[in-house]
Amino acid sequence: MELQKFTYDNKLSRMFLFATILWGFVGMLVGLTIAFELIFPHLSGGISWLSFGRLRPLHTNAVIFAFVGNGMFTGIYYSTPRLLKTPMYSELLGKIHFWGWQLIIVAAAITLPLGITVSKEYAELEWPIDIAIALVWVVFGLNLIMTTVKRRVQHIYVAIWFYIATFVTVAVLHIVNSINIPVSLFKSYPVYAGIQDALVQWWYGHNAVAFFLTTPYLGLMYYFIPKAANRPIYSYKLSIIHFWALIFLYIWAGPHHLLYSALPDWAQALGVVFSVMLIAPSWGGMINGLLTLRGAWDKVRESPVLKMFVVGVTAYGMSTFEGPMLSLKSVNALSHFTDWTIAHVHIGALGWNGMLTFGMIYWLVPRLFNTKLHSVKLANAHFWLATTGMLFFAVPLYFAGFTQSLMWKEFTAEGYLKYPNFIETVVQILPMYYLRAFGGTLYITGVIIMIVNILKTVKSGTFVETEEDQAPALHASKHGEDKGHRLIEGKPVLFTILALVAILIGGIVEFVPMFMVKSNVPTIASVQPYTPLELEGRDIYLREGCYTCHSQMIRPFRSEVERYGDYTKAGETVYDHPFQFGSKRTGPDLAREGVKTGPIYKPDSWHYNHFSNPQKMVAQSIMPPYPWIISNTLNTSHTAKKIRVMQTLGVPYPEGYADKAVEDLKRQAAGIAQGLRDGGIDVADDKEVIALIAYIQRLGTDIKK
Amino acid sequence: MTTDKQPAPHKDADYEIDTLTNDRLLKDHEYDGIRELDNDLPSWWKWLFIVTIVFSIVYVVRLWVFRADDLIQKKEFEKEMVDAKSNPANTQPAESFEIKVLTDEVSLAAGQETWMKICSVCHLADGGGLVGPNMTDKYWIHGGKIEDLFKILETGVIEKGMISYKDQLSPKQRLQVASYVLVKLQGTTPATPKAPQGDLVE
Repeated sequence: MELQKFTYDNKLSRMFLFATILWGFVGMLVGLTIAFELIFPHLSGGISWLSFGRLRPLHTNAVIFAFVGNGMFTGIYYSTPRLLKTPMYSELLGKIHFWGWQLIIVAAAITLPLGITVSKEYAELEWPIDIAIALVWVVFGLNLIMTTVKRRVQHIYVAIWFYIATFVTVAVLHIVNSINIPVSLFKSYPVYAGIQDALVQWWYGHNAVAFFLTTPYLGLMYYFIPKAANRPIYSYKLSIIHFWALIFLYIWAGPHHLLYSALPDWAQALGVVFSVMLIAPSWGGMINGLLTLRGAWDKVRESPVLKMFVVGVTAYGMSTFEGPMLSLKSVNALSHFTDWTIAHVHIGALGWNGMLTFGMIYWLVPRLFNTKLHSVKLANAHFWLATTGMLFFAVPLYFAGFTQSLMWKEFTAEGYLKYPNFIETVVQILPMYYLRAFGGTLYITGVIIMIVNILKTVKSGTFVETEEDQAPALHASKHGEDKGHRLIEGKPVLFTILALVAILIGGIVEFVPMFMVKSNVPTIASVQPYTPLELEGRDIYLREGCYTCHSQMIRPFRSEVERYGDYTKAGETVYDHPFQFGSKRTGPDLAREGVKTGPIYKPDSWHYNHFSNPQKMVAQSIMPPYPWIISNTLNTSHTAKKIRVMQTLGVPYPEGYADKAVEDLKRQAAGIAQGLRDGGIDVADDKEVIALIAYIQRLGTDIKK
Repeated sequence: MTTDKQPAPHKDADYEIDTLTNDRLLKDHEYDGIRELDNDLPSWWKWLFIVTIVFSIVYVVRLWVFRADDLIQKKEFEKEMVDAKSNPANTQPAESFEIKVLTDEVSLAAGQETWMKICSVCHLADGGGLVGPNMTDKYWIHGGKIEDLFKILETGVIEKGMISYKDQLSPKQRLQVASYVLVKLQGTTPATPKAPQGDLVE
């Protein structure tokens, strides 16, 4: 057979690699900043774009899409051509992908701190950026699939399977969850509302974890572990079974984020059982990674790269066991809304994604620059800082999680809540927040050491722009030669279609009844659309990221009904575009904040003082002040358009109401402002705080207890 | 685990043997130098998968077919509320006591604790008032007798933003905190006193 010569281009891998390091550092620094803001609530200095609610989405987006995103592309652009014995299909598409992706990150880094957000977790970016993401993603996918078509090896390797699954699923998730109707260039409303929006969002959110943080990194694991250890993959059969089981089962598990919410029991049950069934397929990946190192454990002791891989894969095993446990309703009743979840996701992010990325970087850079790693000692120091940093991060938060949850649930012998004031439960766990910030500091110190090490390594070498290789051309496979799974490994386009089918089933089975069967969202006659002022106030609530610390979903537990009021019903959420259930209670639930006969009602003047300076009202509060909401004038230039968009989405405002909306808004604002002035607070009618108070006082009032 | 097994007899020409583990290497499975072994799925792994599948089937059948009460959250909630009410600790007749100012230090300390936890959120820790009225002066909107305070704690003054505390504080706790106001807060000088509201009661 005649050998064909071709070259691998290392330029894109190098660009993505540097971007990974840069954005990783930025994303973690933002994370560390907000960890300190939780200890020192006045750290943001009353500057809007530094406040927790705006930076938290920046932190999650930066770590997921900028750090891990660039990390996966680094590995994919390096491994795919080598596994398929062909250059990437198009260098131009690769460049468009790289610069497009970085531009999206920059756009995110600017818009999120400005409060331009849809407010759906990990899908916060507004519609123009969403469109850019979809386009760039298609560019990436086209390049990937076309490279598999142009390959010189008969069968595609398991790493490529995972890359393909990543491409198709993220495309589906992103497009379906981001269908929004624009109000302006920087504002849009999701077409879904309330509990339906929540189901779509957590189908997306959970599978962003699955198909952005997990499957591409399993692909990287399948390439870089055997390469670094020079050992064969433990079991090809396990690869097949765990790959298909993983992608098919994962997509169903989203409802486990909505246990004990207003989601119907049947859908919650699907979230439970599909999460439990995921243990084995997830562990299949862990076993195949760890057992590949059999016969090479002596190397693991020597090599910081392999050590990081081992800790990374072990962290993967831990968090994929913990995930299903957290999906059991009895465990979730305790863990949900607490720091337990934060600990859980950071085992995944710091352990699995972080360690795998660092290992890959330490392995790749000496090869890309034809040199030796500057210092193995520094890499080992990084390994230990990262490992201890992760433990100092997670262990205190586990403790904080169940301590606080037990306090929320504790009753006195007389049958009253033992800790009726939420702040008592916050003060109790504050020391754990200090430890978490310490853990984060250790972890990021390790990253700084890595940056120095990598820069010195790069300096000591010369960049290998291209590498030559040769292989015979791909011959059309002889009929009947391949059997079973080997057959579809030889047909990457068919493989892509089958993967797409596998990931579509779960979503369809959950969505169709949820949207088509009326009994799943029982309507409540007394539930009315928001007034224009409340709607504007709600948009301020979204802009400030209040949902990052306050839930609006009272679960049907005695302890929550006593603390917050009647539990939340699906029918109450039908005009909520988007839903605001939240996922974490750093502060109390607000679903019934406005109910005057409820246990947590506060008068308007209390809210005014509280937004201006929370510590004035609750001395030990860790909420930051919002001086700009007090001083900003409410922008009503889009109010009419917002009403019209809501009407398009099926919110029953009377016909022509948009034209009267601002008039109504002003009337309601004047009433609230007058009440505040009567109480001695000097405030004008047209301030943002008036709208926010209107919204807060509306919460939960549509149905009377 | 399969690692302990004897080396497979090397009969089949489709296989080579990995010298470090004695496991069979699959032929034609080589990707950029990465080989694959022909190991079977570990049996404990298969069993783990089977057990989770059986669990899942039992779970959904219990809910969808048998409508098991413990899987329907509305019923779960109703049961929790019924259990709480029938708990002997909660059904004992409320301790009967006279509504009069408590002056013993234990009661006043308990009253102070409630004040700091709950009341201070609107009336400030030193009682000077902010959203709620000043509790240190001699001016009262709804009366300054112990009975008046006790009553307000039970009913609230919702139009002014004061909620009812009858579900959050026991009658005894309400009497303790009302006593704390009258005995300890009255006549003190807060840092930022709110202007007097209501009628002077000497």
